[in-house]
Amino acid sequence: MDFDLANFAIKYLEKKGASYSEARLENEESNSFMIKNGNLEASSFGTTNGLGIRFLIKNSLGFVTINDLEKDKVIKAINKSINLTKRAYKISEKITFSRENPIKSKYKVSQKIKISSKSPGEKIKFLTDLDKKINDIPARYFSYSDTITKRYYTNSENTSITSEIPRVSFFYFITLTEKSKTIQRYLQYGSASGLECLKKWQLEKNILNEIKALKLNLNKGIKAPKGNIDVVAAPEVTGIAVHESGGHPYEADRIFGREAAQAGESFISQNMVGKKIGSDTVTVVDDPTVENGYGFFLYDDEGVKARRKFLMKNGVINEFLHNRSTSTKMSLSSNASARAKNFDLEPIIRMSNTFMLPGKMKEEELIEDVKLGVYLKNFMEWNIDDVRMNQKYVGNEAYLIKNGKITQPVRSPIIEITTPALYSSVDAVANNLQFFAGNCGKGEPMQAIPVSMGGPSIRLRNIKLGQK
Amino acid sequence: MIEYIKNQLIKKGMDDVIVYQSNNNFTQIKFVNNEITKTETSFSNNVSIFAAKNKRLILTNLKDTSKKEIDKKINYILNFIKHIKPNEDYFGIAPGPFKYKEIPDTYDKKIINMNEIDYVERGINTALKNSKRCSGVLEKNVGSSRVISSNNVDVKDKATSLYFSIRAFTTKEASGHMTSCSRTLKKFDVDYASKFASDIAKKAQNPIPSKSGNYDVIFDYLPTAVLLNYVMDSASIFSVETKTSFFYDKLNKKIGNFTLIDQGNLPNGLFSSKCDAEGVPTQKNMVIDKGILKTFLYNTSSAKRHKTKTTANAGLISPQFWNIILEGQKGDVFDIKKGLYITNIWYTRFQNYSTGDFSTIPRDGIFEIENGEIKAPIKNIRVTENMLNILKNLSLMSKDSKQVKSWDASVPTITPKILVKNVKITKPTV
Repeated sequence: MDFDLANFAIKYLEKKGASYSEARLENEESNSFMIKNGNLEASSFGTTNGLGIRFLIKNSLGFVTINDLEKDKVIKAINKSINLTKRAYKISEKITFSRENPIKSKYKVSQKIKISSKSPGEKIKFLTDLDKKINDIPARYFSYSDTITKRYYTNSENTSITSEIPRVSFFYFITLTEKSKTIQRYLQYGSASGLECLKKWQLEKNILNEIKALKLNLNKGIKAPKGNIDVVAAPEVTGIAVHESGGHPYEADRIFGREAAQAGESFISQNMVGKKIGSDTVTVVDDPTVENGYGFFLYDDEGVKARRKFLMKNGVINEFLHNRSTSTKMSLSSNASARAKNFDLEPIIRMSNTFMLPGKMKEEELIEDVKLGVYLKNFMEWNIDDVRMNQKYVGNEAYLIKNGKITQPVRSPIIEITTPALYSSVDAVANNLQFFAGNCGKGEPMQAIPVSMGGPSIRLRNIKLGQK
Repeated sequence: MIEYIKNQLIKKGMDDVIVYQSNNNFTQIKFVNNEITKTETSFSNNVSIFAAKNKRLILTNLKDTSKKEIDKKINYILNFIKHIKPNEDYFGIAPGPFKYKEIPDTYDKKIINMNEIDYVERGINTALKNSKRCSGVLEKNVGSSRVISSNNVDVKDKATSLYFSIRAFTTKEASGHMTSCSRTLKKFDVDYASKFASDIAKKAQNPIPSKSGNYDVIFDYLPTAVLLNYVMDSASIFSVETKTSFFYDKLNKKIGNFTLIDQGNLPNGLFSSKCDAEGVPTQKNMVIDKGILKTFLYNTSSAKRHKTKTTANAGLISPQFWNIILEGQKGDVFDIKKGLYITNIWYTRFQNYSTGDFSTIPRDGIFEIENGEIKAPIKNIRVTENMLNILKNLSLMSKDSKQVKSWDASVPTITPKILVKNVKITKPTV
């Protein structure tokens, strides 16, 4: 990578009157393969290179990106961007970034089995071998992808960070049919690591188990009980709930309205820090430093050192996710939540690895104490409103709990609930913390960024379930 | 340079080669709470390569266009392709050459030198007449492209486009949203979007909780566009083959009482293009004609697989759509005794794509309708439905249509407002 070009851009912007500037130089190599109904549909590989530059001129924010890395073209692009930013000045927001310590750092996620050590043929074989195990399912597709993202970040405040983060992901989608009935399932796996994750994921075992359970659900599934009952949500369901209503509403850019037009705002306002909205057993954190977490990083895309943030602590709103701009508005330092998917997208506030902290009980103990309830192993349909209050999770693999025991399968039980009601109903959390990978969408243009979400099994008391 | 890539790959034994080159200049002005919070300028040059040998397919891009790097990339492709298994479902790319027509209103020099800031300022000021704050984006794209293939395709295209999205608020829970998009400056209507968004925001103040139940629902342009994006996605042959389509067993069957078109050569269509990714001239596809599902959307290979002709919707791997158009029986959609008026939706998710079971969340102004009039604003509801039911119960359309695109409706859609009977509405149980 041409570090000098990024350094030059910073110097050039200083000369042009920028009070602050930063440059992100990126090189990303990727491979991806997809098998559809047993056929290798697509194989692709590629490299992207580019430079993303942000700057403040008279406290107005400009952002310019270019993938043609010739000095004269970069100068031309910067000049154009400065011109546009100056023209916007008459109605622009005057932005101030928090003061942060300069950092010099270099880090790299180690790969026990290097992505580059396997040929495309070997990666395809991994997919085809897996596909062969379930080729009795006629409608199915699997995809595998890997990326190695190298970044050089530098800014006008003497920070310079180089990083190398490999990511591996796997996705599957299956449709099971019995007579006229169908049930579907998809799941993504993801890890910031080398290919050692593929073995850890135990894909063959997990997918075959799911198929067995879904067939049972399709053939024997009953309706969820009516009236108020208890629900035990397994880690996958806890994870999505925490991401949607325990993470997103804590993004300070939503709270200040910056994403109002699309991703939305938050039911939480600035003055709600300290307000209790969940039970004592609920603590939700966002932690970019979780080893091999799909949302892993050590420094964010504003050059700030990452740390664990306690968003909800024992049911109390505790801390928001900040970048250098929103933290200034609350007279705080940034907590390193600014991320950009790639060089050509602006860094905005994002989650990383967001999860509910586990407790000490076993999952079985949560279930033992339920007279009548439903166990939600996983889900398909879910959604939430744009202030993160009204949410819905529809179980896919789910079972009836009767007198402390899991019994027969339940077809599509629905949790449709408000955020405070959800977190206040949690009376016990298990010790079985698990993470799930996803690509979270936010921003304009849309940035689907790798995150993980998770938690332990949790018990929700006295919930009214909806039915299909 | 791209001819060199194509010729080298053919020389080295590839059966099919497509090289796509594009050059884009993207500008975005993002405004938040009545102020511009960011200007963005992006310059990108891209070269994508598709190559096939003995049914082994590969897609890649080129980051460096020096001869040395091109030769290196070609050698890498030749090595990579050896490892790939054949795709028995692959049946080649389109045989050219083709004749292309210029599509009216797809390039406007005036867009290049327009003052984006003035348009944003005007949009904000218009919205503030009826609301307290507004946020959104103005986006401008100026680009050119060229497609060449081993089957005698060589076509150049150039494009301009504009997109404006504005969400206006009178209170935290009273908002309205609208977008405007165009390929020419003259047809770009910032004022309309701002006025609509702020009018709805004004009417949406003090919303009350509503009851669950079944309602006749009027969906405005934006929510209809979102729904139609999912409908068109279900017409993709990729979705059909993977059973992620609720149309998978519905070809030539009655879906409803409307016509749904995908048209790539639509004048002023935001995604209009002279040709698809294989170089086939774009056309008008009657996907649902007077209620009957007439065709899925194909590229050359998938069409051959299904013994039909390409619909000029390549995508090299899976079909892409151009501009969605909805037509049907027109009338006064508000002429109902009791119902709901939904001005926007988001977060549409399916429990089962093959059955069409889904839910989506209305946002921005939602209103009760009584005797044809907009009454109280409501909040916290969800449309919990089946897509085939929605299409079956689509009973009337407004006389006017708009071209809209949004975060949730990424493919531009020319649509009227629609009236759908008997829509299931749910709300949180606690």
